[in-house]
Amino acid sequence: MKKYSVINTPIHNIDGIAKITGRAEYAFDIKLPHMLYGKILRSPYPHAKILKINTKKAEGLTGVKAVVTGKDTLGIKQGIWRRFKELCDEEILARSKVRYIGEPVAAVAAVDEDTAEEAMDLIEIEYESLPGVFEPIEAIKEGAPQLHEHAERNINVTRHIEWGDVDEGFKKADHVREDWFRCSSQHHVCMETHNAVASFTPDKKLTVWTSTQSHYYIQVLLSWVLGLRENDVRVISRYTGGGFGSKFELDSAQFCSSLLSMKLFKPVKIILTREEEFMATKRRTPMFYYLRTGVKKDGTFLAKEGRVFTEGGAYTSMGATALYLTGFFQAFPYVWPSYRYDGYRVYTNTAPTSAMRGFGAPQATFCAETQIDLIANDLGIDPIKIRRKNAMYPGYEVPGQATIQSCGLSQCLDKIEKWIKSQGKLPPNRGIGIAAYGFMSGGIFNWFDTPYAFSSAVIQVNIDGKVDLYIGSQDMGQGSNTTMTMICAEELGVQVEDIRLHMGDTESCPVDLGAWGSRETLMQGNAVKMAAAKAKQQIIEYAAAKLSPNIVYDLDIKDRWVHLIARPERGLSYYDVVKEAIRGKDGQPIIARGHYTPHRKGMISPAYSFGVQAVDAEVDPDTGKITLKNCVTAHDCGQVINPLGVKGQLEGAMAMAAGYGYTEDPSMDEGKILNPNLVDYKVLRATEMPETKVIEVETYEPEGPFGAKEAGEGLTNPTAGALGNAVFHATGLSVKNLPITPEKVLEALKEKKKKKKK
Amino acid sequence: MEKQLLRITVNNEYHELYVKPKRLLVEVLRDELELTGTKRGCNTGACCACTVLLNGVTVKSCSILAMQADGTEVTTVEGLAEGGKLSPIQRSFLDHGAYQCGFCTSGMLISATALINEKPSPTKKQIKEAIHGNICRCTGYNSIIRAIKAVAEGKYKEEE
Amino acid sequence: MIRDFVYSKAKTVKEALGLLEEHKENYKIICGGQSLLILMRQGLVAPANLIDIKSIEELSYINFKPKDGLKIGAATTHSEIEKSSPVKKHYPVLVSMEKNLASVQTRNWGTIGGNLAHGDPAGDPGPVFVALNATVKMANKERERTIPLEEFFIDYFETALEDGELLLEVQLPVVPPRTATVYEKFNIIKNDQGIVSVAVSITMEKKGSSCKDARIVLGAAASIPIRAKKAEKLLIGQKLNNGLLEKIGKRASKEADPVADIHASEEYRRHLVEALTKRMVRKAWDQARKPAR
Repeated sequence: MKKYSVINTPIHNIDGIAKITGRAEYAFDIKLPHMLYGKILRSPYPHAKILKINTKKAEGLTGVKAVVTGKDTLGIKQGIWRRFKELCDEEILARSKVRYIGEPVAAVAAVDEDTAEEAMDLIEIEYESLPGVFEPIEAIKEGAPQLHEHAERNINVTRHIEWGDVDEGFKKADHVREDWFRCSSQHHVCMETHNAVASFTPDKKLTVWTSTQSHYYIQVLLSWVLGLRENDVRVISRYTGGGFGSKFELDSAQFCSSLLSMKLFKPVKIILTREEEFMATKRRTPMFYYLRTGVKKDGTFLAKEGRVFTEGGAYTSMGATALYLTGFFQAFPYVWPSYRYDGYRVYTNTAPTSAMRGFGAPQATFCAETQIDLIANDLGIDPIKIRRKNAMYPGYEVPGQATIQSCGLSQCLDKIEKWIKSQGKLPPNRGIGIAAYGFMSGGIFNWFDTPYAFSSAVIQVNIDGKVDLYIGSQDMGQGSNTTMTMICAEELGVQVEDIRLHMGDTESCPVDLGAWGSRETLMQGNAVKMAAAKAKQQIIEYAAAKLSPNIVYDLDIKDRWVHLIARPERGLSYYDVVKEAIRGKDGQPIIARGHYTPHRKGMISPAYSFGVQAVDAEVDPDTGKITLKNCVTAHDCGQVINPLGVKGQLEGAMAMAAGYGYTEDPSMDEGKILNPNLVDYKVLRATEMPETKVIEVETYEPEGPFGAKEAGEGLTNPTAGALGNAVFHATGLSVKNLPITPEKVLEALKEKKKKKKK
Repeated sequence: MEKQLLRITVNNEYHELYVKPKRLLVEVLRDELELTGTKRGCNTGACCACTVLLNGVTVKSCSILAMQADGTEVTTVEGLAEGGKLSPIQRSFLDHGAYQCGFCTSGMLISATALINEKPSPTKKQIKEAIHGNICRCTGYNSIIRAIKAVAEGKYKEEE
Repeated sequence: MIRDFVYSKAKTVKEALGLLEEHKENYKIICGGQSLLILMRQGLVAPANLIDIKSIEELSYINFKPKDGLKIGAATTHSEIEKSSPVKKHYPVLVSMEKNLASVQTRNWGTIGGNLAHGDPAGDPGPVFVALNATVKMANKERERTIPLEEFFIDYFETALEDGELLLEVQLPVVPPRTATVYEKFNIIKNDQGIVSVAVSITMEKKGSSCKDARIVLGAAASIPIRAKKAEKLLIGQKLNNGLLEKIGKRASKEADPVADIHASEEYRRHLVEALTKRMVRKAWDQARKPAR
């Protein structure tokens, strides 16, 4: 493989010093002169008409500066699927009807948070409670309470994916299995809760500091709902304390603080409490899954049929994408001669369900991989062998959907097989389960209807060789700042210290759609590489003029040395060339632009990452408690750019996905979340983490910068399935209802004993 | 409500402030003293993002009234690098990429610092127990454990 | 949000008791505040007066005397108990209980008195101290009194502390020879409060191989830490065998009075009581029979 100077070396994260000295300023920390504090009043009912709102008492409280309600808005129903008007169904500040517990109905700005909170108690709202519906299977019935006028039987979106002849496939199958699954919701639990500081000034310009995954989306959406010119809105997000899919839609903190500031011409800060996060921010889409699969007796996959109902919650949000992606990744990462998927997203009176790391794929992978192990067990085939037999390979075309270029899946299976063998015979109540996955490196879709390239970058090389790199991508912890700096440095032939990064500000940064769908490395990376290549070209031209070598020699820059590739000892210092180049350009710095938009790359993504994960778990037969012993992942993200970053992403994804598998249990009752805090909603802590071994399988992805693909989201896909399979191999029990709690394991054990007796 | 006199030393600097008795230590640190390195992540004392050292031991600054810290010495993340020189823990965190979004990092650094101060060579188990209270949603903890272990193994000995 | 209150800091027990008397029925005591502040922040508790006893040095001590046993001041932190040499030597179950309690941060500031006075049946110290036969000393301005810890817990978050009374001390008797006390809680995440917990103390006959005394205490299985007395009676005077162990477990499970909540159903809690009781009885039995060091 190629040798690189910068990429794939353990560089310090470029935000490291700021973060470890406590100097990184998040929107959470912003304090401005004359700043006011806001609080949001939320609906206590899952479904109700708003009859009357009286804010007089609240406005009269000393220290309260303004109260806003839906009537202070333009009443625009917004949504992130801007191309499809019927899917733009969320007002944020409800005007006439509330559809979930926690939906904002009013907001207060006051001199301090306590006063704002007191004022909320003084807002008088008269509701007419309506019957609510909370499960998609109930909501779709005739006569169920209707959430939206336009949505018959509460069906929000449907999706259909099909290729081959599924019915023929089932006829030819030697073995057919049907299984039902229930995939729960999950909460992002970003350490930094949603927040915004909005400042509207007399020149009619709005500046918003916020914790977001896409300042561009927030800029566009805010300008839309507030009736402002897009570029009269500035969104700043230098540091974001976690996103995981929860922070690229317009949220109540951003909207309400902006509204209040526009009324008062003073900065207004709103920080959501942890309870509000659980109650009223978007969450992972719960899914009811039916899978019917037909295979030959030697394990060859023939036909798969999937039907999914998703609990949509009260608004579309990003749920339409999750619905499609779960259907698409249900067939990953295998060759299915025939496949049919029908998905229904159903409105319910619960908090809207949307995007969370994996975006429908973790749910799909859990169901698919659990069923594959059951099939393998039915037929007496080894779990690795059955996967290898049907694995995707480089060049495979998913009919009508995607072309798989780089694919290291087989190598991943080999590595995991080797590791499992090395573990030998396991003690009782112990099992190793595996799951294979694939994931997209950014989506090709433009439901947001942006007129811009999906990603852009601008480079300016200054007289002292320092390079200004302007990007639109957002670092929310996944390390994109460092990745882009490394790509730029590698391509341009300099070191990371030579790059000065500009990001997180719509005023000075070019457009990028944001950090979601695992798109930054591939898309922003390609844009950066293009810009860097163009800048390099300009520098090389000057070096070529200076050196004037034989025309057969071409030049490159590496480690700040502009040289003849064939005769690397002949060259010039990058710094010297830059000085002369700028003089040569009449004193203008070297400027270059790059951009990237996927064209004709199938229905989903330009490139796919792959991997196989093995989870070694122990089950206590007396209590059903699961303990993670070990976790090994072999994954293919193409060329690794930021090795510390990739390892961190893998371990973090595993912890989050393991939580989805066995500890994170969002408990709802008639639309009310019963555990809206970090005591009762249990995320993994350090003491639960097993050893995590990472095996890199290097491939080269032609679509990606230096052959790189995504490595942050795909890794969330397999753990729940691998864990479930580990429990299966340890106990013979298959729990198809997430999360796999000890109580469920014990229930399954009891059922098994009963069946045995019979 | 009448404000009361709070005398507190934070990062070796002595302060006298008048605060309402209901003010939490984390509020005084972040608002009155403008030390925003210490974060808040929850309302139920569950996440430990607000961890600081109080008279040398780790505490949740969201779960202590500022007045209870009267007469005490507090160290926040801003106090770890003296004179711009990163502490061994901080250097190890950098080398191991033991942070991602950074929001839990202040609390983690403080917990790690307290551990090494008390036990210069902790085992992995002891490290996990020391940071058990600190929730991190990004890293999956293992890079943090590696960073602390490296300090425990003497790889970041201070030059005398 | 926290409502305003009048704040008083007591430096001595005498001062504290005076303040309690002065603010009759209109106060809350704060020591470590690890439970209280959460309730205050959620507006569930809003006292007009808050009396801070954290700085009362005379309430912070761990004293062991071979004849009297262990005395712990109410304002002693969990960490101090966890790290105490006499506790490690004579009551090691307290060390392991504290190590598994919440987080280091909570233990560094939270106190044993605060924990017991909070009266949470899911708390760890309660069942363990009851298994160790603890007594608690309380006082108001007029007098002191000492009662068994078992009688201290009355209902969910309700203790025997009267208005004007301050918890001063927890007392543990000397451990009888050939006694072992063990404790385990069931949780999903380590150190979380138990969904159910069981503390067992077994004393063997001085000479002989049957059980002289047994105390089986269930936590998070009723409105207060309760003793499974019927289960205990099955063991006292007997030698433990697998059949008897099964009976003890089942009996303890019947004596529990657990609730169903988001973490577990009533049935599952009963199952856990049975499983943990068996485990702890077996463990205490095996340990108590070992020759004394």
